[in-house]
Amino acid sequence: MTGVKSAAGGAARQAAAGLPRLLPPVPGDPEELTEHLARHGRPRYHGSALLHAVKSAGLTGRGGAAFPTHVKLAAAKEAGHPVVVANGAESEPASEKDAALLYHAPHLVLDGLALAADAIGAGRAYLYLHAGHAARIQKALTERRNLRLDPVAITVVAAPARFLAGQETALVSRISGGPALPTFDSRRVTERGILVQNVETLAHLALISRHGPDWFRERGTRAEPGTMLLTLHAGGRPRVTEQPIGVPLRSALGLTDAAAVLVGGYHGTWLTAAAVDSLTLDNAALRQHKASLGAGVLAALPHGSCGLVETARVTRYLAAESAGQCGPCLNGLPRMAGALAELAGPRPRRSTLHDVERWAGLVTGRGACHHPDGTARFVRSALTVFGAELKRHASGECTATERAPVLPLPSGYAAPTTEEAWR
Amino acid sequence: MTSSTTLWYASRATGFVALILLTVVFAAGIGISRQARIPGLPRFAVTDLHRNLSLLAVAFVAVHVISAVLDTFVSIPVLSAVIPFASSYERFWLGLGAISFDLMLAMIITSLVRGRLNRLTWLAIHLTAYLSWPVAFLHSIYSSGDLRHGVLLDLSLGCAVIVGAAVIWRLVSVVRRLPRAQRVAAQLAAAQPAAGSPPRRTPRTLPPRTAR
Repeated sequence: MTGVKSAAGGAARQAAAGLPRLLPPVPGDPEELTEHLARHGRPRYHGSALLHAVKSAGLTGRGGAAFPTHVKLAAAKEAGHPVVVANGAESEPASEKDAALLYHAPHLVLDGLALAADAIGAGRAYLYLHAGHAARIQKALTERRNLRLDPVAITVVAAPARFLAGQETALVSRISGGPALPTFDSRRVTERGILVQNVETLAHLALISRHGPDWFRERGTRAEPGTMLLTLHAGGRPRVTEQPIGVPLRSALGLTDAAAVLVGGYHGTWLTAAAVDSLTLDNAALRQHKASLGAGVLAALPHGSCGLVETARVTRYLAAESAGQCGPCLNGLPRMAGALAELAGPRPRRSTLHDVERWAGLVTGRGACHHPDGTARFVRSALTVFGAELKRHASGECTATERAPVLPLPSGYAAPTTEEAWR
Repeated sequence: MTSSTTLWYASRATGFVALILLTVVFAAGIGISRQARIPGLPRFAVTDLHRNLSLLAVAFVAVHVISAVLDTFVSIPVLSAVIPFASSYERFWLGLGAISFDLMLAMIITSLVRGRLNRLTWLAIHLTAYLSWPVAFLHSIYSSGDLRHGVLLDLSLGCAVIVGAAVIWRLVSVVRRLPRAQRVAAQLAAAQPAAGSPPRRTPRTLPPRTAR
């Protein structure tokens, strides 16, 4: 296995396989409304026929939890006076797939949002996204209004640039006019009649409404049909690609050599290179390694970078992004970050490793949202996968020859200190 | 000692024990809100102490009330246990006891169904502890002369001092409380230089001493 396939050759091969489905065939080219309608045509399935089609297609949420979409659609419809929210406020610094989708195929997302709203009888629909996309989306919405494409009015709501802004309850709070902070409510958001779907999920739904469930199942696995958008960090700038679920993880990553791979983003799991070789791009396979695809982030750690240093940097960011509401998260995450900074340095105290493991157990399951759980999973997987590196650090050595950071974080990042930062 | 005096003494003894228990429950409740620890015990021990002693205290209050009603030395109607000022005997001071008891029942019932309640509703009712304890204290001191002299007076004043100190301890934390938005940054700043470790170079300047 040598050499790299030319980009054009790769694109031709993909087009022959009916890919990409969501992104435009020529990368870097946003789809205007006329192009969008010419490429995808008008939806065929509506209302309850669409709900059945989504169920047969086996579409799952692409925001990270991979929850069956038809279950949420049915539950929101059941609740009465439903509202639909398209969640495009991806806040993971390593993920760019929602931004890429909103840039390249805004009309597919808006189609899906309108179709879902119509199918469950929602009177209102919202698109929740980072302020940077708002102007382009407003323009797209005006074009659609002129053609009277959407049966419901779509309101755009801007999300603050916070890691937790896209969390479901934080989203509901923000759309209701409050801060984008996670809230605790014994009733699930969907049971309250608020259907929150990731923008990619809605784009897939828009395609199912045109081509039907059998077409959707032509790609992917039986349990997890379809394609998914991935953000790949494999040297150079991050790339967004669309891949059928179930392809070998190594080929999805498009890289032959890495020290370790982070799967599922900053709430995800580090995997050894050996594990990556044996695994496929689906949650059923990843589950054996206590990992999941999350929102489709795959990040390769190159040889010569220290996984502990990377993990410590990201953990500090995650700790700083705690909403500061729940004690275990507010107290536990900064301590874990401090201890990881020590483990990433030379000759940490023996007790520090033990402390981190203990704190990871103490914070799990004890927040209003899953921020402490996800952070603890990420940290624990690092302590397992980089076990040999921990030993080296104990004797004052490190394998790193490269000090440039690998995992992306917002530039000039500092913990927020005002309430306005959550609005 | 006749059966009547048995009930009379039982009522006053359980009432006094209830006052001491309620004092500990009050202090433990403030301990929870300050995230205090009892040396050698995990943090949830304070919560458990608060919960279990509050139920025990109410059991003592129940015996205190029932024995006072059953006692025939003075006539106290059974309803005056929950309806304030319904007793012609010591109308005002027994009324205070009923008010305090009602608030205690409200706090316990809302705590038992806390999972079904809005957090602010539960909190608002639980904050009536700051009213319930002083009212119970006045009831204890003025309903009978027992607590107004000797060892019982000393113990009662001790209870008042404990509650007063607990309230001050709580208020200090309210004054010092950081706004939510600033808490995380403060915690991070406190956690960053690993406490107690010798000065070390930061990871960024770790010399690459690779075996390869």
